[in-house]
Amino acid sequence: MIEHVDEGDAILYMKIGTHATEPLDDIIARKKQEISDAGFSMWGYGGNTCHPRTTVQPFASSHAAEGRVIRLLMQPMHSNHFADPVPADEYSVDGLRWLPVPAGIEVRGSRFALCIRNLEQVHWKLPLEATRVAIGNCRGRRGSLYIKGRVDKACLEVVGSYDLESVSSAGPVAEIGLVAELIKPYSVLLRSDQE
Amino acid sequence: MIQNRPRPLREFDQIYMKAADMVFQSELVSRWADGSKLAFLGDGDSISVSVAYLKARGIVDRGPATITVFDFDERMVGAINRFADREGLQEILYAVLYNCLDPVPVTLKFDRFYTNPPWGASNGGESVKVFVERGMELVHFDGEGLVVIADRDDDLPWTADVLANVQEFASSKGFYVSCLMPGLHSYHLDDNPELRSCNLMLRSRPGNGREVTSHAVRDPDRLRNFYGEGVAPAVRYIRERHRVDYGKALDIEYQLELWAEA
Repeated sequence: MIEHVDEGDAILYMKIGTHATEPLDDIIARKKQEISDAGFSMWGYGGNTCHPRTTVQPFASSHAAEGRVIRLLMQPMHSNHFADPVPADEYSVDGLRWLPVPAGIEVRGSRFALCIRNLEQVHWKLPLEATRVAIGNCRGRRGSLYIKGRVDKACLEVVGSYDLESVSSAGPVAEIGLVAELIKPYSVLLRSDQE
Repeated sequence: MIQNRPRPLREFDQIYMKAADMVFQSELVSRWADGSKLAFLGDGDSISVSVAYLKARGIVDRGPATITVFDFDERMVGAINRFADREGLQEILYAVLYNCLDPVPVTLKFDRFYTNPPWGASNGGESVKVFVERGMELVHFDGEGLVVIADRDDDLPWTADVLANVQEFASSKGFYVSCLMPGLHSYHLDDNPELRSCNLMLRSRPGNGREVTSHAVRDPDRLRNFYGEGVAPAVRYIRERHRVDYGKALDIEYQLELWAEA
């Protein structure tokens, strides 16, 4: 993944950690194996701020149409996530048509998942002041003002031009430890057989 | 009343008003619509139920003569009608399944309309205009409307654009702004809890009433960003999955483990 970003580039930022009682290192190893075996993986997530259909898909599609790579930048955090590690059985792009989760991929304890490849561990910095919210009610708000409290993920656009490996900033900087590339359909809804 | 609300579907902009603001809003609506035939264009917040219930319980002494709720979510419609049935409010409160992109039933004539529509952040308020236009049709362009939309936020230019566009639209239809009450309501909105909505009250100009012909809204330009950027309305109705044990815990939430036999 190229660390240089330019004005308007698309970044899906999220804080990550233990998920559904599975430690982050175990998740990373499992996801890398899935990408190796299946060519891509699904990274589970939840919350209300990055809904697949109304937020992530339109955000990613519009930027991909401009020829931009959609970067997923993840900031490892110490966290506890006690959701039951129930594996998803089906996924849907539109919430209407459901398909089995592809063989070799397992997503646990999540309502949504990002479709990713090229998962890499890095030591990058993201100056949140040099980003803006790209979509939704808060479109245009600086990332540094948006990411707070319970908001731990966002669809952002880069403001300016910088190298994520060597950027310096007086404002809040997110320590990025894991990156990936989002691929079509970018984000999907999940459900289990119990639903 | 809050417990009676179905759980919100964020992808359809169902974001519920907070409880204290519901009380304020319901008391206001009960006075504003006293004695009138009131139509709600959508009502996930359950203001309609609150208004009817507060009046029926004698907590407020004024209220609409009748309240009809038009909503495309059958869960809402069912919840309202079940509440009305349980509390003996059937003569006052009634909900029907209706999508605002379809023509309104113009044989009905209301005095006032109320709507808290998708706020139009990605379409300059076009989604608000669709709901407001339906409200105007239901009063046959002769009456009043209360529109709940995002209040101006200096960080978010779209809020001012939408306010301006909706007022311009109302004016073009023969309505004027009779009152604007800023910064009133807050919502269970994770990523922008500070965002407030305002009450935009509209009133028709004298002699503005007319015969109404209501048409379906199918113009792709109006619909393109209806529920957010790139999200056109593909769903006509949200259908309720009917259950024999409505209101009880879902049996997929739990299982029973029995005592072992002695």
